[in-house]
Amino acid sequence: MATLTFDHVTKRFGKVVAVNDFSLKVEEGEFLVLLGPSGCGKTTAMRMVAGLEDVTEGSIFIDEEEVTFLPPRKRNVSMIFQNYAVWPHMTVYENIAYPLRLKKVPKEEMNGIVHNVARMVKIENLLKRLPAQLSGGQQQRVAVARALAVEPKIFLMDEPLSNLDAKLRGSMRTELKAIHAKTGATSVFVTHDQSEAMSMADRIVVMKDGKVIQVGTPDDVYDKSATVFVADFIGTPPTNFINVEKKISNGVCQLINPHFELDLAEGCDEYVRAYTKYDLILGVRPENINVVDENHALFSAECRVAEPQGSHQIIAVELDDSFLKVVAPAQPKIYPGEIVHLNFKQETLRFFDPETELSIDHPGDDQT
Amino acid sequence: MSSPRRRYWIIKGIKSTLFYLLVITIALLIILPVFFIVSLSFLTTHEAYSYPLPLLPGLTSRFILTHGERGYLLSVQDRVTGEYETVLDTDDLEKMSVYMEDRLGTPVSIPELEEQIARLSTEDPVYFSKSTDLLHNYKLFFQITRDAVPALVRSLQIAALTIIISLSVGGVAGYAFARYLFFGKDMMKFSVLFVRMFPAIAIAIPMVIILARMGFYDRPLGLALVYSIGNIALTTWITASIFMGIPESLEEAAQVFGANRLQAFIKTTLPLALPGLAAAAMFAFIGAWNETVAALILTQFNPTFSVVVYQSLVGATGQVNLAAAGGMVMAIPAVIFTFIIRRYVQQMWGGVTI
Repeated sequence: MATLTFDHVTKRFGKVVAVNDFSLKVEEGEFLVLLGPSGCGKTTAMRMVAGLEDVTEGSIFIDEEEVTFLPPRKRNVSMIFQNYAVWPHMTVYENIAYPLRLKKVPKEEMNGIVHNVARMVKIENLLKRLPAQLSGGQQQRVAVARALAVEPKIFLMDEPLSNLDAKLRGSMRTELKAIHAKTGATSVFVTHDQSEAMSMADRIVVMKDGKVIQVGTPDDVYDKSATVFVADFIGTPPTNFINVEKKISNGVCQLINPHFELDLAEGCDEYVRAYTKYDLILGVRPENINVVDENHALFSAECRVAEPQGSHQIIAVELDDSFLKVVAPAQPKIYPGEIVHLNFKQETLRFFDPETELSIDHPGDDQT
Repeated sequence: MSSPRRRYWIIKGIKSTLFYLLVITIALLIILPVFFIVSLSFLTTHEAYSYPLPLLPGLTSRFILTHGERGYLLSVQDRVTGEYETVLDTDDLEKMSVYMEDRLGTPVSIPELEEQIARLSTEDPVYFSKSTDLLHNYKLFFQITRDAVPALVRSLQIAALTIIISLSVGGVAGYAFARYLFFGKDMMKFSVLFVRMFPAIAIAIPMVIILARMGFYDRPLGLALVYSIGNIALTTWITASIFMGIPESLEEAAQVFGANRLQAFIKTTLPLALPGLAAAAMFAFIGAWNETVAALILTQFNPTFSVVVYQSLVGATGQVNLAAAGGMVMAIPAVIFTFIIRRYVQQMWGGVTI
């Protein structure tokens, strides 16, 4: 178990900046998820920890030791690759044992470790097989076992679940999390799947274009998204954004839109009042829009698309030129063409500056 | 059966018939020349130059012996038409024996001939048959090239050197092309192939001068270098595509788990690349083994086996059946080598499975 520290790490490929001034400390035993769209630098950041990419600027520490210039084999980390990277010409046993052989672990002990980790990921009966005879999920387990066997200081996982089918992904997610709980190894997990990140992380690092946008617990990044990007990237369906204008009349803070005039309730308006400009982006999560009866409606709109999901339904209404997605209870059923009456849960509303796209309660960059 | 369904099956039947006809035609195009040269290598000289040419070598030859103007008249049966053709009129039995062995591929000793001639007193003409010596051409070929063992050794040496040089240079280049991004990569990849566009003869003549200056003229290493020029290009392309098919992450995983770069390569990528390397080695071997034109120019007192074969079979003494036998003998080492590594090459056809 160890801590991992990025100290102003920058990585450039030629002129392209893959990771830009990345600073972060991963605590002992923490499960950290690097989340972002493809090309955001999350994988590069992880590969720098493993030593598979050079660090252009800055340094990386594992515990107190600087590892920036150490070759991968001397860093005592293990990694699970996106395509598993299970060696196809070695049996499952050899795959798990080879790293131990390289570390000159005595034979008896090695044998014990291999069987131990194999039992842990439930592949004990497959030890004599070749990877080609295994399913994708089983190969993934071999990769996990191999990574566990060496008892690394840091556990790196590069989109390990993205090649699995949806159902298997769900169960592997739970298992990985359980293994983490058991071993307590400091883990860094890279993914572009926000639901994976939400379900697994102790802390999520949201990245975009090589920059860290927000660091926080899953609840933080979901409920208190720091930017329009984070609010949009996290959550399915994503946050709805509505352009509004701020107006204060009779001491009440109002948000005006061609479709509605929203009087902000006391306690929900403090940042809006302090905000010095008049144009705002209102961010509202689909589950925070209530379908109500006509008397309580803030506005009404025609339902265009209804997607039943079993436990709930997602309906899309047209607002200006874009769709507003609403998560409604499964009953009563809403059909396309029906007029629905909607209202917002005020305490959950988020407000963003249209120019900087930053949340107005997050002035500046000091989210960490 | 309803009519659209019947039409569907008829059209389908016609299509698959045409397809199989095409496949058979292509297969025949490949097989026929091979069959022809194999068959030709077993024919007697007389048969090889007769018309129509027999498709298969015969196991027995039939003769008629009768009295002629100058002595005895020898006729031999044409296996295709079944007619007898008079080939010799002589009273010199030694000459007749030699002729029968050399031209008719049937060794008949003088006492045996005397025995048949003795029969002439009771019956005229005398019919007799004798089993043909099928390996006659091969025996003759080895007689001619008996002194060529050093050339054979030299050829094997050159082929081995060519494999080593082109595989080590081409393999490294292929690895670089597959794994690294560098300036001018595409251009270099193309220019490697560019070398192969020159005919061997065009390279050979300047090479005489260059090799002579280097002190490699008329030496196996010199020829191996020349052959490697073309082969490196091929090896680079074959190995590059093989290395590209092997995920880099296998090597990276080995590195993360405690191997250094070289260990990682030897333990993960190399075993997986073996089929491709074997195929490249095969091409290098066959190329070096069969090459004659450049060897003819670049050797003087130390010719390669192919040059020896060429020199002994071509020219005034050249006989097509003997040349065919020589070709077969030349092909044997290449066939053996291919068989040894065929498992790996087949693996490559099936692709590297990860």
